[in-house]
Amino acid sequence: MNFDPRDFSDLTRKATELMAVTADVPTVLRGRLGEHNELSRAADKMLASVEAFVHELRSFDASAEPAITDTFEDL
Amino acid sequence: MIRTLSEARSRATELAVSIGSRLGTEHRLTELANAAASGIENTLREVRSSAAGTQVSAAGLTDLHGALQTGAQPPATAPAIDAASPVVASFAAGTGLDAEHWLSAFVNELLAQARTSGGITFENAERLLQQRKDEFLRDFLTARRMYRAYPQLFPEIADETRQVVTL
Repeated sequence: MNFDPRDFSDLTRKATELMAVTADVPTVLRGRLGEHNELSRAADKMLASVEAFVHELRSFDASAEPAITDTFEDL
Repeated sequence: MIRTLSEARSRATELAVSIGSRLGTEHRLTELANAAASGIENTLREVRSSAAGTQVSAAGLTDLHGALQTGAQPPATAPAIDAASPVVASFAAGTGLDAEHWLSAFVNELLAQARTSGGITFENAERLLQQRKDEFLRDFLTARRMYRAYPQLFPEIADETRQVVTL
């Protein structure tokens, strides 16, 4: 699979911006609606999924060798 | 808050499409990107529905207050426009677009919302357009996944691709 590693630096930067934009959402919702409100919990899950994505993307981008795992790794 | 989440959803969807086009739709990074976009989408939907509930009850109280003061009845809600209405049909026909084109659906929704809320705002128009864009990106991802999994079902696309490659 061919790709330019520089593309992923740009994608990582954009993903980091995305995480920064969403970072405050759970705190704001919790402050307005309370700790146990369903919306606050949904926002926590959202932020966790964004963080997991950004963490994985950073690891992928940081690896010097673009060792793409095969799409059949689950087989 | 809604604007922040709406922009975040747009960014996340574009990231998912970009990563999916580079690594494939079944790669773990693509799945994580899709999960992040879905998480934002869910939160946005819940925040919107929560905000809409608040606005509806506030508007209801205002209408009731006005009715009590003037002795008039609250304004009736205008009927929603369906896809077969003359306005939408004439729009689609007038522009030469297919009735299922996203622009027809967008105009349809915008007019329906204008009737029910009594006006069109930039924010509502932006939100509806963003929804159309996200739906398009989701459909695009699904179509590409189907094409990759079952290329034999799309012989005309395969033929076009072959012709481009030979040129």
